Amino acid sequence: MDKHINPSTRAPSGTARVLRLAGPALWALGLLIPQLLSPAWITIGGIFAIYSIVALSQDIVLGRAGMYDMGHAVFFGIGAYTCAILSLFYNWPVLWTIPVAILLAAALGAILSAPIVKLRGDYLLVVTIGFNAIFVLAMQNNLFGLTGGADGLFGVSGPTLFGHMFGTQSDLFYLDWIVLAIVLWLMRNLDRSSLGRTFRYLKHDELAATTLGVNARNYKVAAFALSAGLAGLAGTLFAMQLSAVSPGSFRFTDSVVLFAIVLVGGQASVPGVLLGTAMMFVVPQIFTEFAQYRYLAFGVAMILVMILRPQGIWPARKGVI
Amino acid sequence: MNTAVSQPSGHDADVLLELDGIGISFGGLRAVDDLSFKIRRGEIVGLIGPNGAGKTTVFNMITGVYRPTDGHIRWHGRDITGFAPHRIAAAGIRRTFQTIRLFQDMTVLENVIAGQHLRMRQSWWQGLLNTPAQRREERELIERAMTVLQQLDLADVAHEIATSLPYGAQRRVEMARTLVAEPELIILDEPAAGLNEQESAGLNDTIRAIRDKGITVILVEHDMSVVMNVTDNIVVINFGKKIAEGKPADIRSNPLVIEAYLGQDDDEDDPLMNTVKDQVNA
Repeated sequence: MDKHINPSTRAPSGTARVLRLAGPALWALGLLIPQLLSPAWITIGGIFAIYSIVALSQDIVLGRAGMYDMGHAVFFGIGAYTCAILSLFYNWPVLWTIPVAILLAAALGAILSAPIVKLRGDYLLVVTIGFNAIFVLAMQNNLFGLTGGADGLFGVSGPTLFGHMFGTQSDLFYLDWIVLAIVLWLMRNLDRSSLGRTFRYLKHDELAATTLGVNARNYKVAAFALSAGLAGLAGTLFAMQLSAVSPGSFRFTDSVVLFAIVLVGGQASVPGVLLGTAMMFVVPQIFTEFAQYRYLAFGVAMILVMILRPQGIWPARKGVI
Repeated sequence: MNTAVSQPSGHDADVLLELDGIGISFGGLRAVDDLSFKIRRGEIVGLIGPNGAGKTTVFNMITGVYRPTDGHIRWHGRDITGFAPHRIAAAGIRRTFQTIRLFQDMTVLENVIAGQHLRMRQSWWQGLLNTPAQRREERELIERAMTVLQQLDLADVAHEIATSLPYGAQRRVEMARTLVAEPELIILDEPAAGLNEQESAGLNDTIRAIRDKGITVILVEHDMSVVMNVTDNIVVINFGKKIAEGKPADIRSNPLVIEAYLGQDDDEDDPLMNTVKDQVNA
């Protein structure tokens, strides 16, 4: 190896350096929410963290691997129902339901996607809508007598960790916020790893990627599994936060919202997706008197962004290394 | 040398790739018909023919993009007909594309790292957890990519977005992406297309340098200054059939080849036709 080759990555630009510090700083600032803001905002903060995780997981399939998954609420729902069913019917400690929910959602993601990843984008989108419709129907019809029908299940408690029961809204907020940090760290690592790069190779040019040795099918299934696993994780937090799960939270329209958050925020862009989630779940709370217009506002935003800024409000940085 | 593969009796050990009567039809069109030729280790082989003769289709069959409807493709004597592209890549065959196919929005370095996909040892969880072993491998991937970029005079633009580079540089990035895998055979689909005279002269040196590394080269090319100067052997096809095969000097004076090219009288700019015309008039 020649000595003068400098294999180090390029020096980060000024904005990149600011961002690298701004992200953790904003997260740390968020930790103060329970001290500074009203109880309503503590819940909003928790919900924001949960939906951020789901939207980031949607972005693995959609923004990175480039597959139009319009049924992502299914995996979110699997996580939530797994947590509720295991803790309510089988008296599992809530904490233990988390790894099971992640694995179950990931397995379902792999099984459902394996036969369909060969489909072209628009066909895959229609199939995933079908998955979502079937999931909601199954939950409404009290599948195996476990899902509680249209009303869902009630009474999920927070987990007990190190002898401390996460019962209050601010306890749950801290839990959500810490899990969000872990997921953000995983996303950062994903983008710098072979796995994340291979997803992007497949999105940009599948033929070129396969002639370089990429087994496209395996990697697409892996994208679905990873994405579904993270959505399942978010689902368990959701069940704890609301202490209830019902089919109404995991409908096709919820999948559409997740899809739109990624497109409006910026595909494969972590700050973009967080911004999109905030627009959808936080901004409406600031203007509560207009809250009933939030779909209208988001709809208009979607139209304007797609026309004026198709790469999203905060597009992904080009080139990670 | 792949000694694990049992070699059929009479198999020439020097033969790397053998096309044996391959053919493919698209609907009613017979794009390639009963085509056979062999490529020996260390050769630079040119595949030429008029537009629409089926040259790129042949490449697509070798690399698994299309599945031949007839015949066999053998690699080290082993039948690889109809293998998926990623298995062809794993066998040690890499290609470039006639229309450059770089990963847009990604840097030159990221594009070249893609060529090392099959060398990657990090597992998915090592990547997600950013383990020390994974970070070490990432550094090695970058170092190897930089070495190849340096050889192709691209080190200065390693962090540029690949598709923002001039055309000639993009071609070299695509070549770097195949070379970094250290393949046994590299397939170049019109590497001189879109290059200016100076760049295509440089291309000759690049192709020879590739061969000098022990990599066998097969190329489709219209630029006769490239084909006639660098190839050891030329296969000429027309309407999907082989019409001639031999050394560049023989091909130049082959009457069938002259006819195939002269037959295209509306293609005044075809360089081989002009070369051939000069020969005929001389």
